[in-house]
Amino acid sequence: MAIACAIGPPDRDELLAGALARDLDAAFERLVIAYRARIVTFVARMLRDDARAEDVAQDVFVRAYHALQTYPPERRAALRLRSWLYAIAHNLTRNTFRDAPPPSDPLDYDDGTPRVAVLDPQPDPETLVLREEAWASVGVAISELSPALRPAFVLRYVDELSYDEIAQTLEQPVGTVKASAHRGLLAVRAHLEKNDA
Amino acid sequence: MPETNLTDYGNATRWSVSPDFTAKVFAGIGVDRYTRAGSALGTVCVAWNAAGVSAIRLASDEHGFEVWYADRFGRRVVPAIEDDPISSAARAKLHGEDVDVPVDLRDCSPFEQRVLHKAAEIGRGSARPYAWVARELGTPDATRAVGNALGRNPVPLLIPCHRVIRADSSAGGYVFGTDAKRELLEHEGLDFGALESVARRGFRFIACDVGYFCLPTCGNVATHVDEPGYRGLRTAEEAHACGLVPCKMCRPIAA
Repeated sequence: MAIACAIGPPDRDELLAGALARDLDAAFERLVIAYRARIVTFVARMLRDDARAEDVAQDVFVRAYHALQTYPPERRAALRLRSWLYAIAHNLTRNTFRDAPPPSDPLDYDDGTPRVAVLDPQPDPETLVLREEAWASVGVAISELSPALRPAFVLRYVDELSYDEIAQTLEQPVGTVKASAHRGLLAVRAHLEKNDA
Repeated sequence: MPETNLTDYGNATRWSVSPDFTAKVFAGIGVDRYTRAGSALGTVCVAWNAAGVSAIRLASDEHGFEVWYADRFGRRVVPAIEDDPISSAARAKLHGEDVDVPVDLRDCSPFEQRVLHKAAEIGRGSARPYAWVARELGTPDATRAVGNALGRNPVPLLIPCHRVIRADSSAGGYVFGTDAKRELLEHEGLDFGALESVARRGFRFIACDVGYFCLPTCGNVATHVDEPGYRGLRTAEEAHACGLVPCKMCRPIAA
């Protein structure tokens, strides 16, 4: 257990990719567990629709599985899982965007579904309240970002991907994603400062 | 505002997921999962999917279980990493707790499903004859078909097919063997010694002096047959002659 915790994301991804190459079905749950919270968060940010985020995120994993099925084992083993999964999520949210417009009220966050805290199972109530407030204000700020800035900003500052990974995910030059993420950061900052004042 | 502040916000915006998230993904890819759980018969493999628990078998041979599963259900089953609400409920129920567990009977025919749902009504410490199940379903001639349906029960222990026994109070067949069936029923409180003694004396019903009569397998009524206030009956006519009414729990005769 202690060893598993000490392994950082890149190493863990390598191990995971190796396991997926050996037996896709048996290793797939590890991929879902490792990335479900991140992918749901990303999808929720991109869609501005938290109620549908889980359905779309489930679809991301189903598509990932079917893609992995078609890859030969050596290609699975060599995959950079993080940017590859985010790329699927990004493409799918882009399509979903076109299918249905986001809800008009960006504050309408909670669909009432009980959720299990994956990362922090027992936060104290005060932390929870603070998080809810932070969640709401950043959520509004992000939802007001333009579609051009939002993916790069979310991947950099919410999902904490490297610029290289973001460039891979969005299929854009590194310079472009750096600029988009930075402009997004300035816009979110301005929004938060306006609200704090 | 320094960038670290935004990282804090970033953590604050980490989403968490519904407990059935993984099960829904696996439903989407058509693969089921299984886990090992303790039961009255020792360790069992419990397979499940988003619809419910789909199979239970003894855990002696996991590879054999995976092969059998793919053959019977046409889907692959892989070892699970995490429990979710369905597998946790199954674990609790197999441990003896009184909880509802959704079961996936899509592989069974409509008749088999009706038989299994009927078997699920039989409470702990009781048993019913195969013919009773057939009669309750309105198909009194289908006793053998009832036996076959129970034999195909994909989720033994969760659906207590072991509580359906033969009319002469012998245990009858079971997916895990007749001895295991008898052991389970005795573990649940059924007294086979008393049932056999009642059967030997030709008693088909037990009368209670509070005014009703039962099947010998209704709770532990067979153990009381020689106590004051109880007696054995050979026919339903005897019961009617004494003005007794059929027990509402075990419904000993056709309505």
